[in-house]
Amino acid sequence: MTKPVIEVEALAKSFGDNEVLKDITEKVEPGQVIVVIGPSGGGKSTFLRCLNLLETPTSGKVAFEGQDLTTLDTKSVNSLREKMGMVFQGFNLFPNMTVLENIKLAPMKVKGTDDAAATKRAHELLQRVGLDDHADAFPTSLSGGQAQRVAIARALAMDPKVMLFDEPTSALDPEMVGEVLNVMQELAKEGMTMVVVTHEMGFAKSVGDRIWFMADGYIQENNTPENFFAHPETERAKDFLSKILM
Amino acid sequence: MKKKYGLLLAMIVALFMLVVPMSTQHAQAATDDSLEKIQKKGVLVMGTSPDYPPYEFQATVNGKSTVVGMDVKIGKKVAKDLGVKLKIKSMSFDSLLVALQTGKVDMIISGMNPTPARRKNVDFTHTYYQGGYDIVINKTDTAKYKNKDSFSGGTLGAQTGTTQYNAAKKQTKNTSVKGMTSQSDLILALQSHKLDGVAMEKPSAEAYVSNNKQLAMIPSDFNMSSSATSSAIAFRKGSTSLVNKVNVTVDQIKKDKLVKKDYLPAAGKYLKTNTVNTSMGHYWKAFLTGIEYTLIITVCSVFFGFIIGIILALARMAKGGVLKTALRWLATAYVEFIRGTPMMVQVMFVYFGLGLFVNLPALTSGIIAISLNSGAYVAEYIRGGINSVDDGQTEAARSLGMSNGKTMRYVVLPQALKNIWPSLGNEFITLIKDSSIVSIIGVTELIYQSNIVRSDTYRGVAPIVVIMVLYFILTFTASRILNYFERKMQHD
Ligand SMILES: Nc1ncnc2c1ncn2[C@@H]1O[C@H](COP(=O)(O)OP(=O)(O)O)[C@@H](O)[C@H]1O
Ligand SMILES: [Mg+2]
Repeated sequence: MTKPVIEVEALAKSFGDNEVLKDITEKVEPGQVIVVIGPSGGGKSTFLRCLNLLETPTSGKVAFEGQDLTTLDTKSVNSLREKMGMVFQGFNLFPNMTVLENIKLAPMKVKGTDDAAATKRAHELLQRVGLDDHADAFPTSLSGGQAQRVAIARALAMDPKVMLFDEPTSALDPEMVGEVLNVMQELAKEGMTMVVVTHEMGFAKSVGDRIWFMADGYIQENNTPENFFAHPETERAKDFLSKILM
Repeated sequence: MKKKYGLLLAMIVALFMLVVPMSTQHAQAATDDSLEKIQKKGVLVMGTSPDYPPYEFQATVNGKSTVVGMDVKIGKKVAKDLGVKLKIKSMSFDSLLVALQTGKVDMIISGMNPTPARRKNVDFTHTYYQGGYDIVINKTDTAKYKNKDSFSGGTLGAQTGTTQYNAAKKQTKNTSVKGMTSQSDLILALQSHKLDGVAMEKPSAEAYVSNNKQLAMIPSDFNMSSSATSSAIAFRKGSTSLVNKVNVTVDQIKKDKLVKKDYLPAAGKYLKTNTVNTSMGHYWKAFLTGIEYTLIITVCSVFFGFIIGIILALARMAKGGVLKTALRWLATAYVEFIRGTPMMVQVMFVYFGLGLFVNLPALTSGIIAISLNSGAYVAEYIRGGINSVDDGQTEAARSLGMSNGKTMRYVVLPQALKNIWPSLGNEFITLIKDSSIVSIIGVTELIYQSNIVRSDTYRGVAPIVVIMVLYFILTFTASRILNYFERKMQHD
C-alpha cells in the first residue's frame, strides 16, 4: 500500500474559547478526491487551512507524505506548502498583476524558475483552463468563473501534489459554476489528489471518492458518495441532507 | 546689537552646557592647546550670520554670492595674523553659540556683544568696534522727532530680543514698542506707517538711510553700558592662549582705527554695488540656488524617509517573540516621539547634537533630520496601506509557498503603495514646503536665499512674492507629476 498524502491525527483547533475543531483523525490517499460537506460555521475552512498550516493547529498532528508539519520550522513549512495548492472562495488573485504575472510570480520568486520557462508553463496552464487568450488581462476585467479558473492555474503552476479547494464555486453566479467544476473534474481524472469543500452535491456524487461530513468540530461521517447520499449513517447527516435537498 | 535668543535655543544651549563642559571645556582648561590646535589645523572657521549689513551680508562678487562686511575683514586679519586660512560658515544668529560650543565653528564674528550672560559660556576678545544706536524715521517726519523721547504716544520698532529692543522698552515712556525678527520687515512697517521709528545700530541705520531716499535717521540717546554697544570675537571657553594672541590683532585694529578707516568704507562699497540693481531678476542666481537646494533636500528626504518609513512600518507590525515585541515598541516609541516634537528642534538636534560626535555638514544634517522626521509619518501611511490590503492576498501568496518576506515584498507592499500613493504624494509636497526649516542651520534653500536677498536689497516684500510664486510652481508641478503617475497606476 502506498503512503497517504495527508494524515491528520487528533487535530484540534480553538480560537480563544471557541473550539472549532475538536478531534479529527483522517487520511487522504494518493489520487483520492475527498469532498468535505457540512453546515456553515462547522469548521470546514479552518480544517482545510490547518492542512497547509495557514492556521496553526492547537494540538494534534498534520502529516504530509509522512512528515509531521507541526514540528517543522517556518522555512520547511513554506517549502511544503508549495506542494499543496489552494483555491479560495474569493479567488484572491493579485489585482495589480496580469493573469500571466499572477501565475508566474510564485514559480519565479519561490522556485527560481526563469522567466521564459515560467511564461511557457503559464500559457500551458491557461490553455488547460481555457483562458490563454486572457493572459494579458487584469483580474478585474475577468468574470468570476474566469477568475477562479485562473486561480486554479496559478495553484497548479507550483506543481502541487494535492489541491485544496475551499468552496470554489460559492461566490459565482450559477451560470459560471459549471465551467469551474469542469476544470476540477478534469484535474480529478488526471489523478490529482484533492480535498474539496463544496455545497455542489452533484459534483460530490460524481467526482468524489469519499464524502467527509463535518459538523460541530468533528468529521461525523466518512462514507462513499453513493452510501452517504442514499443511506446517511448519522442523524446529523440525515438532518443536513434533508435541509439542503429540499 | 544682535542678541536674538529664542527660549528654545536657550534651552538647547543649556543642554549642551551640561554636556560640553565635562568633555571639551575642562579638558581645554587643564591643557590649553587652543592656539596650537588652530595653527596645526591651518584653518580658522568663522561663524557668522550674514544678514546684517554692514557687519556681514551677502554680496555678488565677480558673479558669485559671497559673505562680505567689516566682520569678514576682521576675520581675515585675525586669520592672517595667526598664519592660517579663514573659512566662513553662515548660519542664523540664533545658532551661532551652539555651533561654537559644538565645534562647528572656531570663532564667532557676527556683531556679537560681549554681554555678561554670554561671557559665562564663551571667551571674548577685547572689543573691536564701539557702536551706538540710531533711530530710522520717515524723512517727512524729520521735524517731528529728535530722539527716543519724541515718540510719546507713538510706536517704535526694533528687532525682537536685541539690546535695542530692550532699551526701547525700558527707556521710553508712553511709547509702544513693537518687535519683529527681521530688519527689513521693520523698515517696511516704517514706510507703511505702522511704525513711527525703528531703533537699530548706527552702521545699519546709515546703510538704510543712504540706500533709501525716503528715510532719515536721528540719534537714539539710549543710555547704554559699553558692553551692550560693542562687538567682540567669541571663542570657546578656556581658549586663553588663542584669545590672547587674537587680542594683539584686535588691539592693533583699534589703534590704527582700521574699522572706521578701511573696513566700513569697504563694506559700504559692497552695499552700493549690491543695491545698484535691486530688481528681483538681478538675483535670479540666488533664487536658483535656493530652488536647487530645496529640491535636493526634498528629493533626498523623500527617498530616505520612504525607506525608513517601510522599515518602521514593518517593525511596528512585527509580532512574535520578545525580540519582535521589543522592536515593535521601539518603532512605536520612535514614531510617537518624532510626531510629538517640532521638526525645527529635530533639525537642530541632528546638526548640533550629532555634531558632538561626527562633523556633519549642514546640508547632510538637514537631509538626515528631515528624512528621520518624514520616515515617522510615512511609516504610518504605509502601515495603513498594508492594513488596507485584503488578508486573502497574503493567504493566497502563503499558500503558494511564498515566505512572509516575499509575500510582503511582491504582493502586499505593491498594493499598499498604490493605495497610499496620494498620501505619499502629499507628504512629498509637504516636504517641499517644510524643507524651509533647514534655513536655520544655514542651508541655502529658498527661504534662506530670500532672506539674503531681502537684506541685500532692502526690499521687504518682493523677495517674499518671488519665493511664494516659486514654491507654488514647485508644488504645483510636483502634484501634476504625481497625478500623472497615479492615473497611470489606476490603469493597471
Ligand atoms: N481567524 C479566526 N478567528 C476567530 N474565529 C475564527 C477564525 N476563523 C474562523 N473562526 C471561527 O471558527 C468557526 C468555524 O469557521 P469556518 O472554519 O470558517 O467554518 P466553515 O468554513 O465550515 O463555514 C466559526 O465560528 C468562525 O467564527
Ligand atoms: Mg468556509
